[in-house]
Amino acid sequence: MTQLLNQQGGRWSISASTDTAWVSLEEFQPDAALLLDVDAEPQAAWASARLIGIDFPALTDGRGLSLAALLRQRVGFTGDLRAIGAVHEDILHFMLRCGFTSFELADDRDPEIVLGQLAPYSQHYQTSVINPMPALVRLANTH
Amino acid sequence: MYQYDDFDRQFVQERVAHYREQTERYLAGKLSEDEFLQLRLRNGLYIQRLAPMLRVAIPYGTLSSTQLRALADISMTYDRGYGHLSTRQNIQFNWPDIADVPDILEQLAKVNMHAIQTSGSCIRNVTTDHFAGAAADEIVDPRPYCELIRQWSTSHPEFEWLPRKFKIAVSGAAVDRAAVEVHDIGLRVYEDEQQQHVFDVLVGGGLGRTPVIGATIRAALPAKHLLSYLQAILRVYNRYGRRDNKYKARIKILVRALGAESFTEQVETEWAMILNESEPLPATTIAHMQQFFTPPKLPVVDHGTGTLAEQRLHQPAFSRWVERNVFPHRTKGYSNVILSTKAIGVPPGDVSAEQMLAVASWAEQFGVGEIRITHEQNFVLPHIPQGDLLALWQQAQAADLATANAGLITDVICCPGGDFCSLANAKSIPIAEAIQRQLADADFVHDLGDVDLNISGCMNACGHHHVGHIGILGVDKKGQEFYQISLGGHAGHSNTQASLGQIIGPSVSRQQVQGVIGKIINIYLTLRQPDENFLSCFRRVGVAPFKASLKERPHDAVA
Ligand code: SF4
Repeated sequence: MTQLLNQQGGRWSISASTDTAWVSLEEFQPDAALLLDVDAEPQAAWASARLIGIDFPALTDGRGLSLAALLRQRVGFTGDLRAIGAVHEDILHFMLRCGFTSFELADDRDPEIVLGQLAPYSQHYQTSVINPMPALVRLANTH
Repeated sequence: MYQYDDFDRQFVQERVAHYREQTERYLAGKLSEDEFLQLRLRNGLYIQRLAPMLRVAIPYGTLSSTQLRALADISMTYDRGYGHLSTRQNIQFNWPDIADVPDILEQLAKVNMHAIQTSGSCIRNVTTDHFAGAAADEIVDPRPYCELIRQWSTSHPEFEWLPRKFKIAVSGAAVDRAAVEVHDIGLRVYEDEQQQHVFDVLVGGGLGRTPVIGATIRAALPAKHLLSYLQAILRVYNRYGRRDNKYKARIKILVRALGAESFTEQVETEWAMILNESEPLPATTIAHMQQFFTPPKLPVVDHGTGTLAEQRLHQPAFSRWVERNVFPHRTKGYSNVILSTKAIGVPPGDVSAEQMLAVASWAEQFGVGEIRITHEQNFVLPHIPQGDLLALWQQAQAADLATANAGLITDVICCPGGDFCSLANAKSIPIAEAIQRQLADADFVHDLGDVDLNISGCMNACGHHHVGHIGILGVDKKGQEFYQISLGGHAGHSNTQASLGQIIGPSVSRQQVQGVIGKIINIYLTLRQPDENFLSCFRRVGVAPFKASLKERPHDAVA
C-alpha cells in the first residue's frame, strides 16, 4: 500500500493512493497515465499524457530527476508528474524543483515528517524547472 | 575574496537547520542508518575507522584569517586541537561527535563556512591554483569562475544524486597547479584573440582504481556558456553513467565505454538543446563576480630585492627556504609563500590549533588577511612583501612551519591511511615519516631537487600515488601490509604534461620500502645529467634501470 502526496486546492496533503491504470511506453496513447523507468528516452508525443509516473529504483538514483527536467523543459509536458517507487521525504525538495507535482510514498513514511520536508530552503542558487530565469536565479536577482 | 551576502548567509543557515533536523530524526530512530548515511555524506560527515570525520569545505582553497581562527577554535572545542589539510584543499576534523556536528556547522556558518557537498555522490568543492590571483604566470584569474561553479553546483536539484562523486578543477595560469588533467572535469581558462575569456574543457580524468588522463572535448568555450556546458556534461553523466558497480561509476568509465568522440557528440547534442531552452550567462553576472576578486591594492615597494639578496647571503637556511618555498608574484617586490606542514614526525597535512592561529595572524601582519590551502596539503600566504620574508620565516620556524621542502621528496602527499581510514589496505603516515627520517639531511634532499612523493593507503588513491614522481600504494597481501611502488607519474603542475606512474615490479614489505626508495634515489643520482630533475631523467631512461631497486643486494642498485 502507498500514500499519495499532492496539492489539493492549493495545499499539500496526503491521502490513501487510489489505483492508477498505468500504461507502459509501448502502449502509450494520448491522455493515458504513462509509467516510465528512470532510463526512458523522452518523446515529444508524451506531452499529451494525462499523468506521467517515474519509477525511482533507489533513493540514491538521480536519473529520474534529469528525466523529469527533460519532460518539463524539452517535451513540454504540463500535466501531473508523479514520483513513485523509492521516494524518500528528504529527496522531495529536489524532486519538486525538477518538476514533480505528486508523490507516491510507502505507507511507513510519517505524514508529518513528509509534509515538513517539502521546502527546507526558502531560496536556491540555480534556476530550475519551477523557477526558469536566465542563468543563476540568485545572480540574476542580485543586480 | 568572495564576500557572502544575505542570500548566501541565509542558505547556509537553513542548511545547518535542515541538517540538525535530519540528525535529530536519525538519533530518534526515524531515519535508518542507510538513509542517514546518504544525508550526512552530502554534508561532509564520514564514519571512519575510529570516529566520525567531518570535512569542511574551503571553496577553491581560499579562506580568511577570521575563518582560519574559527577552524582553530572548533578543533579545540570539538576535536583534539588539530585539523588535517586534505589533498582537495579542504580541512578535516578526525574526532567530532555525531551529535555535536550540527553545533560545529553552526559555528562554521557564523564565519560563512559549511561542509556542503564535501563527500557523497554529488558535485564536490571546486578546486583551483593555490596562487590564483597572485601568480606571476597567471593568464586569467580562475576564482570568479570557481565561485560561479560553486553557486551553480550547490544543492543543484538535478545533480545531487549522481552515480558517483564528481570533481571539477579550474586553472588559469601557464603552469597548471590545479591538476586539471586528472579531474572529472578540468577547465583551462585563457583569453582568445579578442581578449575574451574562453575555456578548454577536459573530461574523464581521474585517479582511483582506474587512473586516466582527461580528454579535451571542447576548446575555446566562451565564458557565457560555461554553466550550460557543465549542465550538458553532468546531465549526460547523470543519465548514462553506470550505477551498478561503484568502481565503474565515475565519468571516466562512461567516457571510455562510449569513446571520447561519441561521448563528446552526446554532450554537444545535449548542449545545443540546452542553449535553445535557456539564456547564456549575462556579462553583468560575470562582471559582478569578478569584482570580488580585484587584485588587492599593494603599496609599491622597491627596496625588496636588494635587501632580500643581502639577507639570503647571511643566512643560508633562510636562503634555502626562499629558493624552495617562495614563489613569484604578479607585482614587483611581492611573493607568494608556501608554509610547509611536512616537518619530520608530523603526519603530512596535520596542523595544530596553535599553528592555525599563527598562520591567521601572519596573513594579517604580512599579507592581506587571506590564506590558501594547496592540494599538496600545505598553507600558502599570498601577497607577502619581500622585505617581510625574513621576519615571516623566523616566526614560521618557531611554529614548525618553515621546512624548506616545497616540491622536494620530503614534501610528501599522503592520505590518512590505515591509522584512520576504514578502507585502507595499509598504513601510509608511518611510511611518510620513515622516509622523511631517512632523508633528514637537508643538503642531500635539496640537491635531489623536485621529487613528488605520493602515498595512498589503498586503490582509492586519496594520496594521488598515480601522479607521484614516486608513488607508493598500500596493498593487502594475504592479510599483510605491502607496498607497490610506481615511478614517473606527474600531476602536471610544472610546465610538462601530466602522466601516470609505471609500477616497477612486485610489491614490497613495510620494512623494505625505505631501502627501495633509497636505491631509486641512488639510481637517479647516477643516471641524471646536469640539471636534469627526477621526472625528466625518468622520462629519458624509462622504467628499466629502476627495476634494479627491487633487487636484494644493495650494490646491484648503484651502477
Ligand atoms: S586512499 Fe584509501 S586508505 Fe587512503 S584515505 Fe583514501 S580510501 Fe582511505
